[in-house]
Amino acid sequence: MTEAKLIRRACQGDGQAIRALYERYAPRVYAVVRRIAGDDDLAQDYAQEAWIRAIRALPTFRGDARFSTWLHRIAVNSALQALRKTETRQKREGPMPETIAVSPESSDVLLGDRLERALDQLPVRMRKVLILHDVEGYTHDEIGELLGVAPGTSKSQLFKARGKMRTLLQALTAPNGQEEVEAWSI
Amino acid sequence: MEHLTKETLARLVDERPNPEQREHLSSCTVCALELRGLRRQTEALGSLPDLRPPPGDWVGLEARLMSEGLVDGGSRSTGFGVLFRTGWMQAAAAVILFLGGTSFGAAMSGDLQAASDDTVDARVAGVPQSVEDAAEAVYSAEQAYQLALVQYGQIERRGRTRNYGELLGRAATLDALLAATQEAVRISPSDPFFNGLLVNTLAEREDMLRQISSTRDGGWF
Repeated sequence: MTEAKLIRRACQGDGQAIRALYERYAPRVYAVVRRIAGDDDLAQDYAQEAWIRAIRALPTFRGDARFSTWLHRIAVNSALQALRKTETRQKREGPMPETIAVSPESSDVLLGDRLERALDQLPVRMRKVLILHDVEGYTHDEIGELLGVAPGTSKSQLFKARGKMRTLLQALTAPNGQEEVEAWSI
Repeated sequence: MEHLTKETLARLVDERPNPEQREHLSSCTVCALELRGLRRQTEALGSLPDLRPPPGDWVGLEARLMSEGLVDGGSRSTGFGVLFRTGWMQAAAAVILFLGGTSFGAAMSGDLQAASDDTVDARVAGVPQSVEDAAEAVYSAEQAYQLALVQYGQIERRGRTRNYGELLGRAATLDALLAATQEAVRISPSDPFFNGLLVNTLAEREDMLRQISSTRDGGWF
């Protein structure tokens, strides 16, 4: 079934069509929401909220953008808004046992795990900008619009976040520094 | 020689260095390596894979979609939705709730009247929200049903000594069971188990009414 047909049916409350859209895009939605949330439990709530909003808003989807882009934007907005409501965030320590990467390259598993852990430890404002720019590819103008800040502020936060991320990653490597050399030297 | 700050190096991931910075980078191994590390970090962040939602995520979402009226119940067709579409789960839930509540409670306590009064309204109050919940409910109902059968046998054996209150309590329980099985048959009209249960319940209830009417001190009429 084509995506357009799935969307039309999902608009009418067809559970099978909604499930099909979910199966197709859930990993993408969950990934961005999980990284913004910085926490597994919050992420699940945020992701569900994002889907509910998207299904509610489906009748307004006109097809001007790709559905994946439209859905992604809803997920980001939803997660950012939910995160704002979450006054305090408990930093996770240790690995992410419940979060499984979708088909990661085997050589990237350790690196990916360290990146995720370091992202979780970043201060919220830095994390949001770093994820939106370096992970999701948003421009500073778009980030400024999403976060309600000037593009220059977004840039400044990004550079700080990259530096902080680098420090966190170095701290997560083995004490003898061998992993660091392997992971980051060229 | 003063090194470039981390923030400056982070900026140079996206922007070209000015002549001064370029000169520094060409002669300072520490800063050059740090910049390489930042570039690799940025590349790695851009290549992070998607993440699979935790197990049960869809079930939770489906429940929310249902509760918010965003999904048409009749068209659900995945996971336990298949069972819903046939009506089996709804029908099973009706009987499960009844058996798990009324029969079990009544059989264990012996207070049939009170148990049936308390639970009759809840017998079709909801449905299991996951396959695991449904399996658990079926298991509990099976246990309750077996216990109820044992208790029924005991009551039957001492039928002659059964008092009027006990008969009335049993009749009330049968009424509740009848309502639940009728609901189950309405949802799944061709299900042989529910039809069999309905026929047996009707027969048992008729027999019970005969017993009550024949009880001299019952004051039935």
